[in-house]
Amino acid sequence: MRHPDEGLLRRLLDEPAGVAAPDREHVAGCERCLAEVGEIRRDAELVRTALATDLEPDVDLTGAWHRLTTSADGVRSPSAATPIGRRRGRTLRRPVVVAVAAALVMTGAGAAAANGWLEIFRTERIAAVSFDPADLNALPDLAAYGDVAVTGDPEIREVTTRAAAETATGLGLPEPTTLPSGVDGAPTYHVADEVSVTFTFSADRVEAAAADAGEELPPLPADLDGTRVRLSAGPGAAAVWPHASGVPALIVGRAVAPTASSTSGVTFETMRDVLLSLPGVPDDVARALRTFNADGSTLPLPVPADQVETSSADVDGDDATVFRTRDGTVAAVAWVDDGVMTVVAGPLGDDEVLAVARSLE
Amino acid sequence: MADPERGAVRPDLEEVFRRDYGLVVGVAARVLGSADHAEDVAQEVFLSFGRSTVPASDARGWLSVAAAHAALNLVRSGRRRARREEAVASASDPLVPDVADTVLKLEERDRVRSALAALPRKQSIALVLRHSGLSYAEIAEALDLAPGSVGTTVRRAESSLRKELIRDASSR
Repeated sequence: MRHPDEGLLRRLLDEPAGVAAPDREHVAGCERCLAEVGEIRRDAELVRTALATDLEPDVDLTGAWHRLTTSADGVRSPSAATPIGRRRGRTLRRPVVVAVAAALVMTGAGAAAANGWLEIFRTERIAAVSFDPADLNALPDLAAYGDVAVTGDPEIREVTTRAAAETATGLGLPEPTTLPSGVDGAPTYHVADEVSVTFTFSADRVEAAAADAGEELPPLPADLDGTRVRLSAGPGAAAVWPHASGVPALIVGRAVAPTASSTSGVTFETMRDVLLSLPGVPDDVARALRTFNADGSTLPLPVPADQVETSSADVDGDDATVFRTRDGTVAAVAWVDDGVMTVVAGPLGDDEVLAVARSLE
Repeated sequence: MADPERGAVRPDLEEVFRRDYGLVVGVAARVLGSADHAEDVAQEVFLSFGRSTVPASDARGWLSVAAAHAALNLVRSGRRRARREEAVASASDPLVPDVADTVLKLEERDRVRSALAALPRKQSIALVLRHSGLSYAEIAEALDLAPGSVGTTVRRAESSLRKELIRDASSR
């Protein structure tokens, strides 16, 4: 019998079952073939060692898949893809502001989370109120005036699809038909449940707070003690277009805007005036808030005057407020329609967030 | 998430990606000698695959061959760049010892990559695919080889690579 060729001998090392039985038997009893198999094995081992990578790839499948789908979208719509370099610098500089914008969308309003006593109403409009940040820091904790209980899970969680976000919140999450240049790929979806804060007013504590502050207390309505006010915001959903840097490139969010209900017949105006007259509220803040219409439907969004400027715009018939950081790095537009607030935000120009807002479907 | 409504990317991309991404990174890493650029190569390969009509059943072989090609091309262009850098570096000061040690290891690695890239393309790819775990049948299918000739191709590649490595080492 002739000797098997070197290809067969090579395969014998890896897949002996792939070599015909007569050939295997021949090799087993043939000194010349065994010697050749030995040489082939040495070469194979040498090459295996040479090709071995010192770093076995530790693959992050989810991250890799995300990267692929992001660039796949970019390749598919080249018109929307290119000027990422320009964006990156802008994005990285103000991640905190964008994060705040995201939190604002998800919780309904930053004001509701930070200073629940402002929202004794159903939000129909929003208005930016410029505060000196020092005043904001000086605002008293609601717990100084009564008991505060939070119900609902304020955690924001990611869901896989737009449909899942809509099912989880019962809100239609609008989709932009145009994206700013530099924003591409598929968004991630996030939802948050409704969060409520129940506040039980305590006349004793208000008096104690006033005594601590050394202030004269205005006469309080007799039925105020023990009044419970329930403030609710959410649920909310957001689509977030990621950026290679990990910072959102664009956020489109929708949430049930804050509402408030009270357990006694205390009106919004009464509650507002009482709260604004309480010790610890800076006079100019109280003045600014008191100028809001008394129908309990305008949500004041506190805006740090030294960092953010605001203007108004029209988004498909709704009055919208445009926020822009003074250094031009981040812009947002927000409006309320039938108790539902929609926000578009990102490290973009105000014209760009408005264009996205007007393209929502 | 791929958006199937836009229609440009095949619907089975995610399934294939999750199944074969590790394999494709491994193929590229073997050619490149490190994981550094292997994932970049894998991304490129899956982008092409996403736009292709290759049947999912042939994906493993197709992806592996594409990754090997892309990585070998990278080695070739890298070698051209390295020669220019060498020319510049030879004019400067001799290296301090511990840096030289690192450079030796890198050179060792580069020697293997260069030798691999110098082989006939079919041989180098068959070799990398075999050492990445593809079966003889899969390699035959992917490279359009007769099933009986895969062993011969791999054997020739290993033999040439050994000679290349030894000649390279003794001429240093």
